[in-house]
Amino acid sequence: MSVNVRDIMKKDIIVAQRNMPVSEALDLMKTHKIRHLPIVNKQNEILGIVSDRDLRDAAPSIFDEKHKEFINLPVSKVMIENVITALPLDFVEESANTMTENQISCLPVEEDGVLAGIITETDLLHTLVRLTGAAMPTSRLEIEVPNESGQLSEVSNIIKDHQINIQSVLVYQSFSDNTKKILVFRVQCMDMRPLLKSLKEANYKIIWPTELEMKP
Amino acid sequence: MSQEAAYIFSPEQLQYKFHNEHPFNQHRLSITNDLLMKLGALSPETILPARKATIDELLLIHDEDYVQAVIGAAEGQSRSSYRTTFGIGTEDTPVFPHMHDAAAWLVGGTLAAVDYVFDNGYKHALNLGGGLHHGFRGKASGFCIYNDSSIAIEYIRKKYDARVLYVDTDAHHGDGVQWAFYNDPDVCTLSFHESGRFLFPGTGHVNERGHGDGYGYSFNIPFEAFTEDESWLVAYKAAMREVTEYFKPDIILTQNGADAHYYDPLTHLCGTINIFHEIPKLAHELAHEFCDGKWIAVGGGGYDIWRVVPRAWSLIWLEMSEQKEALKQSIPKVWLDNWQEEAPVQLPPEWYDPKGLYPMIPRKKEIEKKNERTLLKALKPIYDHQKKVKS
Repeated sequence: MSVNVRDIMKKDIIVAQRNMPVSEALDLMKTHKIRHLPIVNKQNEILGIVSDRDLRDAAPSIFDEKHKEFINLPVSKVMIENVITALPLDFVEESANTMTENQISCLPVEEDGVLAGIITETDLLHTLVRLTGAAMPTSRLEIEVPNESGQLSEVSNIIKDHQINIQSVLVYQSFSDNTKKILVFRVQCMDMRPLLKSLKEANYKIIWPTELEMKP
Repeated sequence: MSQEAAYIFSPEQLQYKFHNEHPFNQHRLSITNDLLMKLGALSPETILPARKATIDELLLIHDEDYVQAVIGAAEGQSRSSYRTTFGIGTEDTPVFPHMHDAAAWLVGGTLAAVDYVFDNGYKHALNLGGGLHHGFRGKASGFCIYNDSSIAIEYIRKKYDARVLYVDTDAHHGDGVQWAFYNDPDVCTLSFHESGRFLFPGTGHVNERGHGDGYGYSFNIPFEAFTEDESWLVAYKAAMREVTEYFKPDIILTQNGADAHYYDPLTHLCGTINIFHEIPKLAHELAHEFCDGKWIAVGGGGYDIWRVVPRAWSLIWLEMSEQKEALKQSIPKVWLDNWQEEAPVQLPPEWYDPKGLYPMIPRKKEIEKKNERTLLKALKPIYDHQKKVKS
């Protein structure tokens, strides 16, 4: 999936300056229903980041005298510095990898040294949904093919012959048989029967739609 | 026969025909009309005419360039954009002569139903030619060109300012209608369908609940493939009543696709004709309980046009017009004789299917459990709301 980070990043970013008190930063995140707050300077350069969870974990109990002291601290005292960032032209899968490797759920995006956007786990999930075509009117077609070159092309050609538009394709190694590959298509078509007939005539093994043996 | 119900049909609705091999076949309207007439439950004089929807009415929902493209395609023009941008000329929705007029007559039937109910003193109205729920604002999809139900709902909103509950029991998700009113808190959509994991159009997940002001007014009950009567009906009965009580509509519009039956060639559900006895019964009951009787029903999918659709759709009219005593007789022999030669399958002689229509479903228990969970998830906001009200 070579979609770039800039295609999916959020550009309206809520940020804080280094002197904002922790209490205000928490309120700001609550109001905007966000979990991460980048800290920037006047030039919009990234200085650090705080997350609502980090702040809550770090905060002394509300019954502790130190609580008041903590929530009045400027965020610059508690923020994470050396922020891991993404670049706008990074591939989405690269940034997904960065997030899992570093066990973080958000990446600020920087361009020419300044904050340009932000991507979160939620954005990645939305992208996954979009890439698999699940939000468009489509039908699912799943075929098992030998693990040889040219299989995808041949199946696509049969779909093309039926003038059916392919919304998305997923290719992966069969979990149960490593001499086989699985092709999963989402095709813009409600009645797949003519297509299925052609595929069967070409001896493809169709995994879905299955014909219940009991269908008349 | 109750004078409260209007049966709408015009021969122009039969012109909605892609080609001879296409599964969407309005010949089913003629076959159903004939069954009702042979039963003595309908006569030519009591059938009320549909009308042709005007361009302005189509534009209540559809984009102008899309309507122009349909008109252009019907006149024999051909542009590559028709297929890619507007979905016309695909394997699902091929071009056919008079496609604009034919589609506008299906819409007009549903609009006529609205007017009979709001202006002419009828409590209920039935337009079996309608129910084309996949039509989008700017695109044909899944055999549907214009979306009669969306247009009728917008027409009701504009002209009569009534709040509409749309209930869709087609085996395919009612996506076109759902998306048209996804942001609207005055239109509630409730769709029962085979899960998008298995079937077109792939949407209709429980989590699709509406957006913005419309959040909480879109309900989806996706069933597992091979779901059977009992599990289907448990969900239907619970969700119908809960959603109606919660939303308190002024009118109920039901889409009655008849493709959740085991015999249907396009879907993977294992319903029998039982569910089509129950669907209109509860809709009728709730319309009287909550909407002063206001109930409009339309057709929809249904691709076994011999063994399933004529019975399923006749049952709607028998319920609506309170003529269910007709069910005490078998399917009239004159009707069977009239059509058996043309039908490629044996026509059903009774109003109920025989036992053992299909073999045991091995995953039955698992399927029932999954459907039960889906139902609870779908209705959770209502249950939470009820708890809040109580406390």
